[in-house]
Amino acid sequence: MTEKKQEEYKVTWKGWLALIILLISFSGIFAQSTGPWRALDFQVLTGQFGKIADGAIFTGKGGIGARDGFMFALTLFPTLMFALGCVQVAESLGALRAAEKLFRPILRPLMGLPGAAGLAFVSSVTSSDVGAVMTKGLVEDKMMTDDERTIFVAYQYAGSAPVVNTFGTGAALLPISVLPVGVIIAIIMFVKILGANLVRMYLYWQAKRELTTGGAANG
Amino acid sequence: MAESTSAVNLQKVKPSIVEEFVAGAKKGFYIGAEMIAPAMVLAYVLIQFLEITGLMQGVGKLLGPVMAVFGLPGEAIIALVAAFFAKAAGCATAATLYAKGVITATQATILFPACVTMGTLIGHFVRIVIVANTNQKRHPLLLCVPLVDAAVAMIITRVILSVWGIN
Repeated sequence: MTEKKQEEYKVTWKGWLALIILLISFSGIFAQSTGPWRALDFQVLTGQFGKIADGAIFTGKGGIGARDGFMFALTLFPTLMFALGCVQVAESLGALRAAEKLFRPILRPLMGLPGAAGLAFVSSVTSSDVGAVMTKGLVEDKMMTDDERTIFVAYQYAGSAPVVNTFGTGAALLPISVLPVGVIIAIIMFVKILGANLVRMYLYWQAKRELTTGGAANG
Repeated sequence: MAESTSAVNLQKVKPSIVEEFVAGAKKGFYIGAEMIAPAMVLAYVLIQFLEITGLMQGVGKLLGPVMAVFGLPGEAIIALVAAFFAKAAGCATAATLYAKGVITATQATILFPACVTMGTLIGHFVRIVIVANTNQKRHPLLLCVPLVDAAVAMIITRVILSVWGIN
């Protein structure tokens, strides 16, 4: 039933557009361009603080300890608010549904997961909890096996909610990172899928071994 | 029937794009106030403590050879240990190490995906592994996966940086 509902959802052009703009703005490909395209880049729109004097921003120069840490944290608020605002808008326009359309058919080759896991897969990009709850439901509804769940959870557990967490918990490193935030998220996604496949291989190897040793015991 | 009409009503009261943005930005503000600011204060104080006591240098020397595999100085392990407990603490610690000049921006970038990947392992074990009701037999295996992923992430980031010619 839930499976059917998911299939019926139609991704509108707004969803696709929102997804594309989100990918472009986080990828940093327009960060260095001089044309109006720059306006699509996340880092460009985040902007910079003005200089007070001698090149110092309002946090000052040479601060130390808790006070300096707090001042630095203050500089991160605009980035966080802007990033999560964008993510929320893209989500409401259906960008996640569009992403689900892209990923659903390749979940099997990618991680050995059934297409029914598509919505949980995409939801887990922005929420640790929603993905986990949906995964439990999928096994209970017999749409996923126990081993598939282990593989799926291995994917979700490492670098959970990569998009929100890279902006949220990683906020302190955003202004320092020499790579665009999109590349950072791509690396996290890549190792998440890699880790899931290591588990997939391990489970496959173990099942095969149990089969042969079990067979020997019986024979 | 009643269900479908209520669904239609729900569609109608769907918040506008402006409202969605404001709601998201508000979420961002609270993440900043509840997670980032406390983590930054903790990280700055911790590093200040380690530096003054001289423990930082000791850790750096001890773990130098191990961290060198990832193109990092030994002190960088402090960020990874902090990340184990909370993603935000790990990233904040890496930022502090950068501010102190212990690591370069490139090295902070190498730590970035790793801190997010292996971060908040205990908290998320409950929120993801337990909530998804994963087979108990697999729990130790699952606990190891993010650590392996993080190590791979550091190597991949290092490779990307060197391919792009950033040092």
